[in-house]
Amino acid sequence: MANTVIGSSIVIDGEILGEEDLTIEGTVKGKIILKENLFVEQSGVVEADIETQTVTINGQVTGNISASDKVEIRSDGRMVGDIKAPRIIIADGAVFKGNVDMDV
Amino acid sequence: MNNAFETIVGEQTTIRGNLQGDEDLTIRGRVEGTITLSKTLMVETGGIVLADMDVKNAVVSGVVVGNIRASEVVQINEDGRMVGDITAPRVIIVAGASFKGNVDMGDIDRARPEPPRMETTERPRSTFSSRPTPASPAPARPAPARTRERAAPPARKEPERTSRSTRASKPASKPAKAAPKPPPKPKPRRSAPKPPSVAKGKKKVRKKK
Repeated sequence: MANTVIGSSIVIDGEILGEEDLTIEGTVKGKIILKENLFVEQSGVVEADIETQTVTINGQVTGNISASDKVEIRSDGRMVGDIKAPRIIIADGAVFKGNVDMDV
Repeated sequence: MNNAFETIVGEQTTIRGNLQGDEDLTIRGRVEGTITLSKTLMVETGGIVLADMDVKNAVVSGVVVGNIRASEVVQINEDGRMVGDITAPRVIIVAGASFKGNVDMGDIDRARPEPPRMETTERPRSTFSSRPTPASPAPARPAPARTRERAAPPARKEPERTSRSTRASKPASKPAKAAPKPPPKPKPRRSAPKPPSVAKGKKKVRKKK
């Protein structure tokens, strides 16, 4: 399975476009557009607007998310921004501040 | 989930922007912008990089368009194609690789553009000495020529008189009279580069006013 991994000491300032899964353990600032799944790991810091199929957040995200399938914020996750997705899961312990729109 | 010991940009991923990191980076997709790493960059077959890179090592098996600056080694493998400049102490280009650009390994001494400049500055000095001789018989060269051109008629007369009387008196008289005149001396240096092409006639025309 082809997969992109951004390591913990990597900082990307720009945009990421992809048609495969993306796992972020480092820092990304800018814009992320994927056709598959985005995983923000615990050490990951994302300051970007995200457009993807699903998002799973274990780290830190600041920005707006527009997902065509699902957005999940796990217990270690912290998010500030708006979420627009048909399905949303916010686990116990997660921190979230923003608007939620499930009417896609 | 994956081998998270290094960063991998997958085949179907495009990154545009600036990338910085302290770990190895493997590119199988597309990266445009700039890459700064303190470790090894590997562009695998199928990877396309349009970026300027500042890394420790670079191993290119894909397509790279951009300049690579490495502190250790740059290697272009058989499948690798690169257009751009390489600046690194060690460079390896394997048989079958394609490369177009400049290679700078930094150890070679250079000796080119500086010497000609020195020569041009020296030339005017020689013309300088030759210039005043036809203009006036005075042995002191830069001073009499300068005074002439600047002060117009009154200046001309003074040096001539002193020259007729004694050559030795000239330097003594001149400093007293030419209190404001010393500044002209640096001028020759500025205009130094010009004389060779300009020749002598032009200067006179300028300052006649």
